[in-house]
Amino acid sequence: MQLTYVFSELGNGLRRNVSMTIAVIVTIFVSLTLVGMGLLLNAQATKAEQYWGSKLQITVFLCNENSTTANCVNGEATDDQKATIEKTLDSNNEVASWRLQSKQEAYDKWREAYVADDDTESRVYESIRPSDMQESYWVQLKDPEKFLGIKSAVQGLPGVNTVRDLREVLKPIYFWMNVMKWGAIGIAAFLVVAAILQVGNTIRLAAFARRREIGIMRLVGASSLYIQLPFLMESLVAALIGVGLASGALLVFMGVVIYGTLRPTSNIVAWVDWGDGLWAVGLIALLGLALTLIPTLVMTRKYLKV
Amino acid sequence: MSVGCRCARTWGYVHVSGMLPVSPNPAATTPVIRFENVTKSYAGQSRAALDDVTVEVEKGEFVFLVGASGSGKSTFLRLVLREARPTHGKVYVAGKEINRLATWKVPGLRRQIGTVFQDFRLLPNKTVTENVAFALQVIGKPRSHINKVVPETLELVGLEGKGGRMPDELSGGEQQRVAIARAFVNRPMILIADEPTGNLDPNTSVGIMKLLDRINRTGTTVMMATHDAGIVDQMRKRVIELSSGHIVRDQSRGVYGYQH
Repeated sequence: MQLTYVFSELGNGLRRNVSMTIAVIVTIFVSLTLVGMGLLLNAQATKAEQYWGSKLQITVFLCNENSTTANCVNGEATDDQKATIEKTLDSNNEVASWRLQSKQEAYDKWREAYVADDDTESRVYESIRPSDMQESYWVQLKDPEKFLGIKSAVQGLPGVNTVRDLREVLKPIYFWMNVMKWGAIGIAAFLVVAAILQVGNTIRLAAFARRREIGIMRLVGASSLYIQLPFLMESLVAALIGVGLASGALLVFMGVVIYGTLRPTSNIVAWVDWGDGLWAVGLIALLGLALTLIPTLVMTRKYLKV
Repeated sequence: MSVGCRCARTWGYVHVSGMLPVSPNPAATTPVIRFENVTKSYAGQSRAALDDVTVEVEKGEFVFLVGASGSGKSTFLRLVLREARPTHGKVYVAGKEINRLATWKVPGLRRQIGTVFQDFRLLPNKTVTENVAFALQVIGKPRSHINKVVPETLELVGLEGKGGRMPDELSGGEQQRVAIARAFVNRPMILIADEPTGNLDPNTSVGIMKLLDRINRTGTTVMMATHDAGIVDQMRKRVIELSSGHIVRDQSRGVYGYQH
């Protein structure tokens, strides 16, 4: 096949429609970047789930002398109360294992975590004794998602001060991560619609500008592919530039924000890595090609019917 | 089709040919265009554009298609080009039934048909040579072939030395010659001309008709739709007359207004 015509038409078409092509490129760039961000947030949420999920457990704090909740009216939890709690833990099928943390252990852990910054703080800390700490049961769950049964079973027992579930602490973080993810995907969806319509309009204008040539090509028996090829190439150029810009933006984000800032300074969670970034880039590349080539094929079919 | 039959100047050409089912020379009588009870109606129109038309055109024939506007001439040509499909009946072009032809084979069919229009349809930003070469480029012919046949064809249509001109530097007759060169450059089996002299003065038209006759003599079947009575009367070729979608006359060596 002689492709001179295709390439000269490609050049002409891009020159003729330069403003439309730029509009398509920008729309594709922005929408794909947002989709990529959504994908990264999704990967981050999964990573966080895996990281925290393995550590998720329920902590049952027992009453001590200073406890003020309704279950603790009798002060320090008795051995009988502890036995009831242990029986409840043993019989609940959500529980994988549990262990009792003594007051001394709790005190040691606390000393480790809290380092006094100045004299006042260290004097306050000095006044705290192991007997001020609470005994607690650290309960490992079979399925980190299933904790409500054991939580309610233990919560009302005498001698139980509070039941803490790490998930409650993480809930707002999950919530905002989800909001950001769906926000990015939602905005991206609107932009994707805009991109598809823009590609369609570009094809319509280009087909109109080329209608004489197209009419003659059909008449002399040029194949549909040959007629469509300049249009496909134009879309492909726009798609590749758009995908390139969006990939670049994502990789810069990975390099500067994730690897440059978040990873060195914060290890509360496992952060997304280059693998996740490349996976997102691959997906947006596919999406970008589909976004431009499918409307082009549909529209050229419609406007250039043999 | 035997020449003897054609000379008879009979009415009902089709019926006469139908009475000769066994041909002495089958190869010579293979029709390049055959309509079998073809009806074509367009959506939303009560009257059919073509109504139960049966006709054959043989290889190497020169046929005028005449009739008033709206008689069905354009529909007839569109069916041959497979720009439209018949509602009923069968249309064979170059041995293929066009309504059973897969879409991807349509370009192959059209490569065997050259088409010329009243309004020339040249590309204004290309030279004469480029306009003619375009028809070969877009069907993927090699450059060496194009460089050889385009000047030959321009010479055939009487445009030697004018290959470098732009279409708007040419007269109407010359522009139509370029269009004919473009239609003929791939040596089609059939040349369809839809009112090719409609925009031209009578003298120029004579030149174009001579050219079409010359092309016909190379063995190409020529089918020309026209309103130009003078040309039809002069040429004395086969005339198919359509009226309201029916063939009302099919006559060898006919004249334009025989019936009226």
